[in-house]
Amino acid sequence: MTVLKTSMRNFLAHKGRMALSAIAVLLSVAFVCGTLVFTDTMSTTFDKLFAATASDVTISSKDSSNTGETTSNTGKPPVMPGSVLSEVRKVEGVEDAEGTVFSTSVTVIDAEKKNLSPTSGAPTIVGSWNRTDARTMEITEGSAPKGAGQVMVDADTADKHGLKLGDEIRWITAVGTHSAKISGITDFTITNPGAALFYTDVPTAQRTLVGESDVYTSVNLTAAPGVSDEQLKQNVLAAIGGDYKVLTAKETADENQKDVEGFMSVMKYALLGFAGVAFLVGIFLIINTFSMLVAQRTREIGLMRAIGSSRKQVNRSVLIEALLLGVIGSVLGVGAGVGLAIGLMKIMSQIGMDLSTRDLTIAWTTPVVGLVLGVLVTVLAAYLPARRAGKISPMAALRDAGTPADAKAGWIRGLIGLVLTGAGGFALYLTSEADKASEGSLWLGLGVVLTLIGLVLIGPLLAGGVVRVLGAILLRIFGPIGRMAERNALRNPRRTGATASALMIGLALVACLSVVGSSMVASATEELDKSVGTDFIVMQDTGQPIPPQAVERVKSVSSLERVTEYKVHEVALGTPDGERVTGKDISAADPTYATDLRVETVQGDLADAYRPDSMSVPEKFAEDHGIRLGSTVDVAFDDGRTGELTVRAITTSDTVIDGGAMYTSIDTLAKYVPADKMPLDLMVLASAKDGQQEAAYKDLKAALSDYPQLKVRDQTDYKEALQDQIGQLLNMIYGLLALAIIVAILGVVNTLALSVVERTREIGLMRAIGLSRRQLRRMIRMESVVIALFGALLGLGLGMGWGASAQQLLALEGLKVLDIPWPTIIGVFIGSAFVGLFAALVPAFRAGRMNVLNAIATE
Amino acid sequence: MTSAVTIPRHGGTGSRTAVAARARQVVKAYGSGETRVVALDHVDVDIARGQFTAIMGPSGSGKSTLMHCLAGLDTVTSGKIYLDDTEITGLKDKKLTQLRRDRIGFIFQAFNLLPTLNALENITLPMDIAGRKPDKAWLERVVETVGLAGRLKHRPTQLSGGQQQRVAVARALAARPEIIFGDEPTGNLDSRAGAEVLGFLRRSVDELGQTIVMVTHDPVAASYADRVLYLADGRIVDEMLQPTAEQVLDRMKDFDARGRTS
Repeated sequence: MTVLKTSMRNFLAHKGRMALSAIAVLLSVAFVCGTLVFTDTMSTTFDKLFAATASDVTISSKDSSNTGETTSNTGKPPVMPGSVLSEVRKVEGVEDAEGTVFSTSVTVIDAEKKNLSPTSGAPTIVGSWNRTDARTMEITEGSAPKGAGQVMVDADTADKHGLKLGDEIRWITAVGTHSAKISGITDFTITNPGAALFYTDVPTAQRTLVGESDVYTSVNLTAAPGVSDEQLKQNVLAAIGGDYKVLTAKETADENQKDVEGFMSVMKYALLGFAGVAFLVGIFLIINTFSMLVAQRTREIGLMRAIGSSRKQVNRSVLIEALLLGVIGSVLGVGAGVGLAIGLMKIMSQIGMDLSTRDLTIAWTTPVVGLVLGVLVTVLAAYLPARRAGKISPMAALRDAGTPADAKAGWIRGLIGLVLTGAGGFALYLTSEADKASEGSLWLGLGVVLTLIGLVLIGPLLAGGVVRVLGAILLRIFGPIGRMAERNALRNPRRTGATASALMIGLALVACLSVVGSSMVASATEELDKSVGTDFIVMQDTGQPIPPQAVERVKSVSSLERVTEYKVHEVALGTPDGERVTGKDISAADPTYATDLRVETVQGDLADAYRPDSMSVPEKFAEDHGIRLGSTVDVAFDDGRTGELTVRAITTSDTVIDGGAMYTSIDTLAKYVPADKMPLDLMVLASAKDGQQEAAYKDLKAALSDYPQLKVRDQTDYKEALQDQIGQLLNMIYGLLALAIIVAILGVVNTLALSVVERTREIGLMRAIGLSRRQLRRMIRMESVVIALFGALLGLGLGMGWGASAQQLLALEGLKVLDIPWPTIIGVFIGSAFVGLFAALVPAFRAGRMNVLNAIATE
Repeated sequence: MTSAVTIPRHGGTGSRTAVAARARQVVKAYGSGETRVVALDHVDVDIARGQFTAIMGPSGSGKSTLMHCLAGLDTVTSGKIYLDDTEITGLKDKKLTQLRRDRIGFIFQAFNLLPTLNALENITLPMDIAGRKPDKAWLERVVETVGLAGRLKHRPTQLSGGQQQRVAVARALAARPEIIFGDEPTGNLDSRAGAEVLGFLRRSVDELGQTIVMVTHDPVAASYADRVLYLADGRIVDEMLQPTAEQVLDRMKDFDARGRTS
């Protein structure tokens, strides 16, 4: 009881000192809970959407994907003949049947040729207005579309692009471009997370999306009263046989859910990973706080021991304080997590993914996970300081200063750290020597973990040397103030080490990723320079196929010397080793592709792969399946026949661009795949006539001006786009790592604030003998800067080591150029100095405000 | 008194008076109304230049408060304090800090030294802070006087209590302040070490012409001074010149007895 009481009193007496640790726990827990709430809410939103939009039973073509999303390489959705509709109307238990036509292989533009597709990755859907959709939507303006000249738009899209009744819009499909005026605007009664929807009547949809009449992509059935969905499905199957896909509402919803689940779980675990890093960093902060509290309370604890408290009681009293801290931080964190989730939803709606707070889902597990994690981590982190508190001898009560430092333990710790760092370094070396990716990534993982732990352990030892060097370079110009700052930073190397380690973790990740990212760009650029023999690349950034009319436009540009089409088709391969490899893609291109993209061959000439009934395979695939030059492979083309293709070239696997691709000619593809199943071009490569580069670039852009979804890029554009793409990804990751760095900054603030409290008397003395407030503040700022730079130095060094090893490993996958982004590295280093200045703001202010007399009088 | 011949040079104020510091009608009160406590009650005092002044009095008499006010560490409720010709009451913190740095030296009872700095660095700290170069010859003489020549590279934790206080004395002397304030500088020392430190203070007055004000409740310590001021209830109630330990002790007993009977 008394133990609890002392803990409570101590906790309350030092609540100011606990505040930053509590914030660290709060932030980490909030991130975890926020992630969970956010992903759960997304899940709920999609659940509701899919449940509400599915008809009782849906019939669709066998070729359509389970989710009913009708993308296909041919640019046209898979359809069923109109007869299906009239057949199922007669089936028992069908109250209502309605045929619909939908396609997602469309681009919709407004009169100014601006793309109306969502930027969030959500689909653009053009289809026929139907009774199933009408259940969850209401027409808020105008009327439903009638005839070829009318289209209805969903309200979110209309809002986003300022579309009004009567505005003209166009949609581009493999059939052609169709234009219509907006006749109505319709709004979801449930939350639509972001798809852009355009409705026409059935004949218009059939004609513009498929190019045929009397076909449907799906037939929606409503069950008669008393007939279950399952019963109806069975009836339908019995009537029309198994030639079509028949799904009940539940099955449709489940399939849809499964489709988005992958994306959501990736997002969830990525976010949780970053939360984990923040937790790791928070641990250092908590350890530091409790170590300092214990150190400051040494005499008090000595007294407790002297008057009869047992070791265990002292130990427990510290742990109970940690428990209180953990509970408070976690409870607040769970609350903040919900807030964070709502904030995230707001941000997502900015980029086009609308989520409503009406669907806010807080599973019972969310607060439990947050609380357990927060409390557990806090108590575990406080364990070491608590043990140290237990070891304080009763003699400490009589001693003037704190306990003498445990020098031996420091050496043992340093030695272990050194061994681990060495072992980690060796593992990283082995990573770069590894021949197989699997083996290398194992070494890399081991190396990263070992060097991290090792450096954390030798941090205090390194602090001595590094801080002295930093001091010599940076602080000497500040004279005695700088010298005192340096000495203060060195005073407790363990504390400085732990504070810097926290910063090190975040910055190491930043440095590592920046090295990998920049190596990626550099490697790809180098390879582009080496292998690309064409001037222009035309493609859609969404990866959707190019409408055939656009390809014709490209071909009509007179300043072009040659145009190469590039398609991809799914195949199953029967290899000489008797295996059957399914789900592979084969790249079918014009023979000029071999010049446009020079891929090195190990054997044979790549141009031969474009001869009739020929193909190429990459080296690795050839090795794995016993394929030699001249071997024949049974290639079963999806939706087509099986052909016996001869391998006439074996390409190197050592490439980033088109890595692992198998090539054949479009003519060969056309031989085995029926014309209506031929995939559209994914990419068109164009080369200008000699000396007409600039003209061709302009002509090409002009020719494709009606197709804003298509990007024309020359090599410079392409490299820039690549760089932007990787840059964006990196920025996103840096943004998420910012959380860990914020926690680390809190750690620096915390250490300084507690140091200032600890040194109250000293500060009083210095002020008494004439240190001005400004000098005092400068001294604390300098100390902070040195700690931050020390952390940055360790972190950046470690991160570059990791990054370089990762690059060596990825060199196996073609990432051959190591590029260290010095501007970023140096920027981060300099930024860390500012972080130090920033962290010192409040502690320095408070130190400056101290009353001199009180400070001197402090025990 | 040999002080007049060896007044240390000082790079600041021009003409110098025989009085190093003055307090005029100084009142220091805490709280207000019912709970108002008067620590200093209209105190007038002159601290003579080149003299060693001791301030004595029972606990709560206001002796420390008086010293803190004279040294510019504490503010007064009313009245004026001058250091030489400078009125320090009403000065802003920045000026006060400069004043303490350049013109005043301190010796506290304990915790006089920064643990991160060695003895020599501690001694030159006020000058370092001010960005001034210490006068080499003077520094050597001070170090010599306090007998620390062999221990300048030691950190405070490696020095005994007496040695630490001697470093503090050296620091106070090294910057050649106009006046040194000591707050029970020997309070934490045994009698031998205390005598040593007091001996140095005495010598610095006699040989270096230093002005020193020291708060103490130890009659033996007070006997090193030229003049003893007695404070009781915030007022100066008596004064003694060229005291001996016995005289001081007798006087203290006197006060004690009076205090008890009243």
